[in-house]
Amino acid sequence: MKKSGAEILLEALSDSGVDTIFGYPGANTLPIHDGLRSGPIRHYLMRHEQAAAHAADGYARATGKVGVCLATSGPGATNLVTGIATAYMDSSPIIALTGQVTTTLLGSDAFQETDIIGITLPITKHSFLVRDVRDMKSTIQEAFKLTTCSRPGPVLVDLPRNVLASSCPAGEERTYQSTPKVSNGIGDKDDQLHKIARALNQAERPVIIIGGGVKLSNACREITDLIEKGRIPFVNTMMGVGSVHAANGYNLGFIGTHGFELSNRVVHQADFILAIGTRFSDRSTSNVDAFAPLATIAQIDIDPTSVGKNIKTDLPLIGDIRKTLKKLIPLVETPDRIEWLSRIKKEQETTEKRNCYKGCGEPGRFIGMVQEAMPEETTAVTDVGLNQIWAVRSWLPKTPRSLLTSGGMGTMGFSVPAAIGAKIGVPEREVVAFSGDGGFFMNIQELATISYYNIPVKIIVFNNSHLGMIRQIQDLFYDSRLSSCELGNHADIVAIAKGFGLQAERVAVEKPEEGIDKMAASKGPFLLEVMVDPENYVYPIIPPGRSNMEMIFGRSD
Amino acid sequence: MEVKRHTIKLVVNNKPDVLARIAGVFSARGFNIESISANVTMDPNVTKIRIVTMGDTSTVTKIQNQLKKLVDVLSVSHVRESKQGQREMILMQVKLTDKNRNDVMKAIDELQCKIVTRKSDYCILEATGSEEELEILVQRFDSLGIEDLSRSGVVAL
Ligand SMILES: Cc1ncc(C[n+]2csc(CCOP(=O)(O)OP(=O)(O)O)c2C)c(N)n1
Repeated sequence: MKKSGAEILLEALSDSGVDTIFGYPGANTLPIHDGLRSGPIRHYLMRHEQAAAHAADGYARATGKVGVCLATSGPGATNLVTGIATAYMDSSPIIALTGQVTTTLLGSDAFQETDIIGITLPITKHSFLVRDVRDMKSTIQEAFKLTTCSRPGPVLVDLPRNVLASSCPAGEERTYQSTPKVSNGIGDKDDQLHKIARALNQAERPVIIIGGGVKLSNACREITDLIEKGRIPFVNTMMGVGSVHAANGYNLGFIGTHGFELSNRVVHQADFILAIGTRFSDRSTSNVDAFAPLATIAQIDIDPTSVGKNIKTDLPLIGDIRKTLKKLIPLVETPDRIEWLSRIKKEQETTEKRNCYKGCGEPGRFIGMVQEAMPEETTAVTDVGLNQIWAVRSWLPKTPRSLLTSGGMGTMGFSVPAAIGAKIGVPEREVVAFSGDGGFFMNIQELATISYYNIPVKIIVFNNSHLGMIRQIQDLFYDSRLSSCELGNHADIVAIAKGFGLQAERVAVEKPEEGIDKMAASKGPFLLEVMVDPENYVYPIIPPGRSNMEMIFGRSD
Repeated sequence: MEVKRHTIKLVVNNKPDVLARIAGVFSARGFNIESISANVTMDPNVTKIRIVTMGDTSTVTKIQNQLKKLVDVLSVSHVRESKQGQREMILMQVKLTDKNRNDVMKAIDELQCKIVTRKSDYCILEATGSEEELEILVQRFDSLGIEDLSRSGVVAL
């Protein structure tokens, strides 16, 4: 029996565990859409390809499985780019399938031809052009292997229309051709592990920095065990938030440019840092030269390029985080650490007094109230801007995959489509998207997807009639010369949401009870517009180029 | 940080986009590729590439690590400074006039170049050697009148 390339593709996806695709059709993907009519895979027709990529990303982040998006050649493929880059920066395993012109037309500037592989080279882990239908199955299998192995990341598969349409006789499929890689030895890991354990045991003021890699390697249990056994205070990078239950007594909050005063101060005083699954991005370290000046730094990561990339590490160890931690835990002692922990406690009391509602003001209080009102197992998805910082500081994740945010790329417009993906991936969990008004408008078309499929996500739009974070930066660091940051209030967001078929309410952030209750009680999709004072900024904040200790607490600083 | 010349040797899968991926790792850091040479090996599925770049050692190490991560790159090594295994080839078109003819012939003889073509008003010469040897060669002929030249890039074992 002969099968078409599209049929083989869908079968291979199904065999790899795919049950959902987020996509948008075009002439060059029609063979796939034709096959989707009958198969077991559900296709969600989004309203923009960027949203399809974010939805696949949100699905992957919420489930830990591979997210799949599909777009046609040319404009469809280029519309995916922001979404692929967002997934790449946060190591999210997604597969992007793109239609392509017929192989004989490749390179001829044919209608809707773009070299999408060339365009996405720097933002994919790898990519494939399937030139021959006999390679379809093995390429898809290889793509799945690559997207999840080692450090996860997006893989793109470009699919010429004639390859999708042509048929492959059974038994003629080819296996994937690759010469095995030569692996260079990376030293004696056990020896390095013992050194790290010794340094940790001997340290007087140790701190653990948890990056996004801990969740990616499913090491949240192990990291919690390590922290509790060694009585080690920890901080998160933005991507690490949620790895350990927020109420864990050793949690000091997230670090960096928009991080907490306490966490930044403690890292600065540490004499030993164990960094796990983080590349020390500039958002975490701010001015890297002044970062943790007193500390010996140990770093554990699966990706050799992340080790020593941005900061010189004294004790690097390249390996799977989960396996490494399992071996490390038995080597770690349980000291009382009274001095260090009580010093931190004192520090905590003063910083908490200074930064009420975690430095977020009313929106911080509001987010706390939303979390109270929603079920325990609710997933929060953030957008980018002040709303992201409010949400990451104030939402207290209790399980690893319950706070999703675009950390590395900082993509406005991420929250709504990613929330769609998260909800479809884990239907039994409530999903709340937090967005600013600016970011909300960037993928507003997805309200149509939400109402069409009746996807019961909750969307909270903080309306400060400004690009709030831009306004804060201009206010503080450009002598209040505001420019191109005012959005105004000419669009009625509640009416728009209702026009799309969602339930919607508007509340003031100071008096949100009624709106929150209605949202929590609603069964379907719901939008809550929350009016916020444009000057409600986040503090402390670190000026560009400064160190994590040069925090600013208000306009007068 | 000291900027030095580095030669990186790669063994890669022989695929259409592999060179673009490799070039991308250099250009992303703003690094220039000084010279590059690629050729097939005994195994038709595999290509050997040598790249010469200028940079500080720590960044070049980072580039090597990033190259290793590329799916189609099978191995990466840093060619040590020892020059024995490194050769390069040059082709030069040198002007011939009544005035310089004798000097050109003398230089060809002394520097052991091979004459590929000889016309009445120019000749094309071929030579191989280490990069430094070829530098000396270029200097000598430059004073006599080079009209065009092309170098292969370093070939190393
Ligand atoms: C796609 C994109 N464009 C521009 C930016 C730069 N940027 C970062 S924060 C921000 C303001 C966001 O405003 P809004 O969505 O209203 O959220 P707020 O800061 O007010 O909470 C901008 C423009 C970005 N991160 N992403």
